[in-house]
Amino acid sequence: MGYYFSPEGINKVISGLSEKYDIFAPKLFPGKGAFSDTDLVRYDRISAIEDVVFHMKSRFSPKEVLLPLTQTLFYYTEDSVSEPRPPVRDRLIFLRSCDLHAVRRLDAIYLGNVFEDHYYRQLRDHTKFVLMGCSRAFSTCFCVDMETNIPTGYDMSIDLIDGEYRVDCRSKDLEDFLVPHSTRQGEVVPCHVTETPTRVHIPENLSSSAAGSSIWKEYDSRCIACGRCNFSCPTCTCFTMQDLSYTDNPKAGERRRVWASCMVDGFTEVAGGAGCRKAYGERMRFKVLHKALDFKKRNGYQMCVGCGRCDDVCPEYISFSGCLNKLEEAMEEVNGNDKK
Amino acid sequence: MTKNEYVPFLSEVLEVIPHTDIEYTFRMSYVGDVRPGQFFEVSIPRYGEAPISVSGIGNGSIDLTIRRVGKVTNEIFEQYKGTSLYLRGPYGNGFNTEDYQDKELVIVAGGTGVSPVRGIITYFASHTEKAVSAALIAGFKTPKDILFREDFALWKKRLNVILTVDDNTADPTFPQGLVTKYIPGLEFKDIKNAAAIVVGPPAMMRFSVKALLERGLSEEQIWISHERKMCCGIGKCGHCRIGDAYVCLDGPVFNYSRGSTLLD
Amino acid sequence: MDINTKKLKKNAFRVTKVRGKTASRIRVPGGHLDAGYLSLIQEIAEKFGNGTVHITNRQGFEIPGIDYENMPQVNAMLQPIIEGLNINQADPGKGYPASGTRNISACIGNRVCPFACYDTTAFAQRIEKAVFPNDLHFKIALTGCPNDCAKVRMHDFGIIGMTLPVLEKDRCVTCSACVKACRRKSVEALTAVSFRPSRNEEKCIGCGECILNCPTSAWTRSGKKYYRLTLFGRSGKRNPRLGEDFIKWADEESIIKIILNTYDYVEHYIDRTAPGGKEHIGYIVDRTGFEEYKKWALKDVTLPEIAKVYTPLYWSNGISFTGR
Repeated sequence: MGYYFSPEGINKVISGLSEKYDIFAPKLFPGKGAFSDTDLVRYDRISAIEDVVFHMKSRFSPKEVLLPLTQTLFYYTEDSVSEPRPPVRDRLIFLRSCDLHAVRRLDAIYLGNVFEDHYYRQLRDHTKFVLMGCSRAFSTCFCVDMETNIPTGYDMSIDLIDGEYRVDCRSKDLEDFLVPHSTRQGEVVPCHVTETPTRVHIPENLSSSAAGSSIWKEYDSRCIACGRCNFSCPTCTCFTMQDLSYTDNPKAGERRRVWASCMVDGFTEVAGGAGCRKAYGERMRFKVLHKALDFKKRNGYQMCVGCGRCDDVCPEYISFSGCLNKLEEAMEEVNGNDKK
Repeated sequence: MTKNEYVPFLSEVLEVIPHTDIEYTFRMSYVGDVRPGQFFEVSIPRYGEAPISVSGIGNGSIDLTIRRVGKVTNEIFEQYKGTSLYLRGPYGNGFNTEDYQDKELVIVAGGTGVSPVRGIITYFASHTEKAVSAALIAGFKTPKDILFREDFALWKKRLNVILTVDDNTADPTFPQGLVTKYIPGLEFKDIKNAAAIVVGPPAMMRFSVKALLERGLSEEQIWISHERKMCCGIGKCGHCRIGDAYVCLDGPVFNYSRGSTLLD
Repeated sequence: MDINTKKLKKNAFRVTKVRGKTASRIRVPGGHLDAGYLSLIQEIAEKFGNGTVHITNRQGFEIPGIDYENMPQVNAMLQPIIEGLNINQADPGKGYPASGTRNISACIGNRVCPFACYDTTAFAQRIEKAVFPNDLHFKIALTGCPNDCAKVRMHDFGIIGMTLPVLEKDRCVTCSACVKACRRKSVEALTAVSFRPSRNEEKCIGCGECILNCPTSAWTRSGKKYYRLTLFGRSGKRNPRLGEDFIKWADEESIIKIILNTYDYVEHYIDRTAPGGKEHIGYIVDRTGFEEYKKWALKDVTLPEIAKVYTPLYWSNGISFTGR
């Protein structure tokens, strides 16, 4: 069902929802950009519609709400281990279509892939999604080519059009919060884009033989292995587990997990020091083929959702979408080599 | 709510069998299904976890052969006496004895690579009728690096065992040479009915597989076991992924027809 | 020809080696200006000068080859620049009021440079408004970060941008990019403790490398901007030396106040017989002792809580021309 709201009305809805939900949305952090006098947009709790940044893309994706950068797995003492208390409050996440599609990818790994992840499940079961419609694509977006531009599976949507908020509600639970504050009801179709300035073409014949192409070589020197591409990505799911002890009582502590990046040193390093993919170009190849090929082999659909954040954040101006567009050439190269 | 795979259980150290200065087998209390080639995440909270493959399966116990190479294993060696260790697992697919039933089986193992195949070797040593023939080529760096000495003595009675060292200066009674040296000399009645398992350091596996392929075995007739960095053991953390496979879920044992397509 | 050289110097012209020719000096506080003014400078140079322009060390332009009698016309043409750069001017249309205090120069700062911790030009302009014109010989320079591209330690007042890094612990993924950057590029103030970085506050110079290198925005800049203030570096014929740290984690207000206080101090203690009435402040401080200077400098100054004042302050011997 569709609802229309004035800014005051939608804020009443948000106040009401806040009673039951922690509401997460892209939020502006003034002065918190890496460079001085620049801002940062990332996910955090919001309490009013004005807190939600609609006109910019967030630097980090909403995945941190479901998969925190740091998460305690259990606490230990000398002779016992105990789980942290499960989250008690439900959550609403404001997110765009690409990021909503990314949640499906997170689910594939964390709810599927043989084992279910206990901690992800706890958060996921208590999460509802508020779609932020996209009336236009940002310059680095390529959702249309990744087929993530059309939103599916949201609980409600929100679009700001001519000073009026339009909401399409698909969840009975949320409907009750909406009805009393709407100015009118009617059909609402959330905005979505049908074309993007950045275009991407992944060749049909892409195979792991693309690893043998020379396209990866340039990244040996261009990439600095900082991991920004992975950390900003809504579909990267890797983590590392760490044990730490408390300074006041070293016999007690916690085991936690933190986000990991396949681009950063040490990702494959085993005890004793051996590891794979020392060259940064090899890491780029591993990442790109995961996003464009390996995940799909396992799950049947593309991993990359085309949000373009990796292109936005690379300090070395390495374009992931640009690299995807080289895959056709890479396949021609390796197939040509085979014929020789 | 589903099982929380991350929370480990305590397992008592029943016995410690030293092999070398830095390699001990820890016999741990464990009741449950487990296969050779699977692994457990072994930990001492505060120091972290390490994936260790099952080197033996007993009644109410499992053997974990641990090499002292890092923070966690170092601490296990320091603290093991009279204690328990935290375990999670077993994880991974492990070896399936049926794959080698009624075959001319060759097992090529290097160094600690003997651990994951120890159960398979023991199985075919005690059930010689289950395979047409079974041969073991095991290589270690020097005589003092040899693991499972007592097992070797037993296996030698029942299987065709070649125990070789890279450097035999310390004890010239051992044959000297890499495991690959012995692959061309293997006798097969029917190469189409051969099966091979190769486990060890990456270079050793690469060259052994190459030698086996040259002998006429097909990729489908060869199994390998991969060792990769692992954190979670349950297909989440991503460290062990190669191509579209998760070593912790789909491996560590791979038929080489699949293993050969996986790129680091 | 009868020219009052004292007067023309106070009007930003210079006595040149060419008899009858002067040069017009155009100060650009903070070294940043609208490109449109360049065509005005070009016009002056082509109409009244010899068609050339010198880009000065202190971020100005000097137009040589001007006949002395054309100074009023040049001043008239300079008026839009003087107004556009917001220069304190007593008599509109009469040119730059020049003085002993030199143009306040600055590196390009955070309008462009990723390392810079503040808008150097804006702060330079703010100081300009507070101190100009003034006859005393003060050199003030600003640089965006401890790289000190502006070489502010060669100045009486060197202002070096600092940022106070704030770590949001739970955003840290322990990739150690900050620890490595601090070790390789800065002062090794970060070490990993239980995987996460721990900052040695004594060592930290506020360069911001940790923030710049953090891939998850776990390290961010504090809301407030901070500065390191260095004192009494100098070049010259007698005893060149580098400026020493006076205050770490100072704020803008305090720095401006300290500079103004120093004018009072110099006014009080300067050697009136000094040639041209100019004496480097450092020599005055050598005479009065640092404690006396500090008393004047910090009068009515309220520093931020985290500010650290280095006292007593000693300068290295610098360069001594011993006749070797």
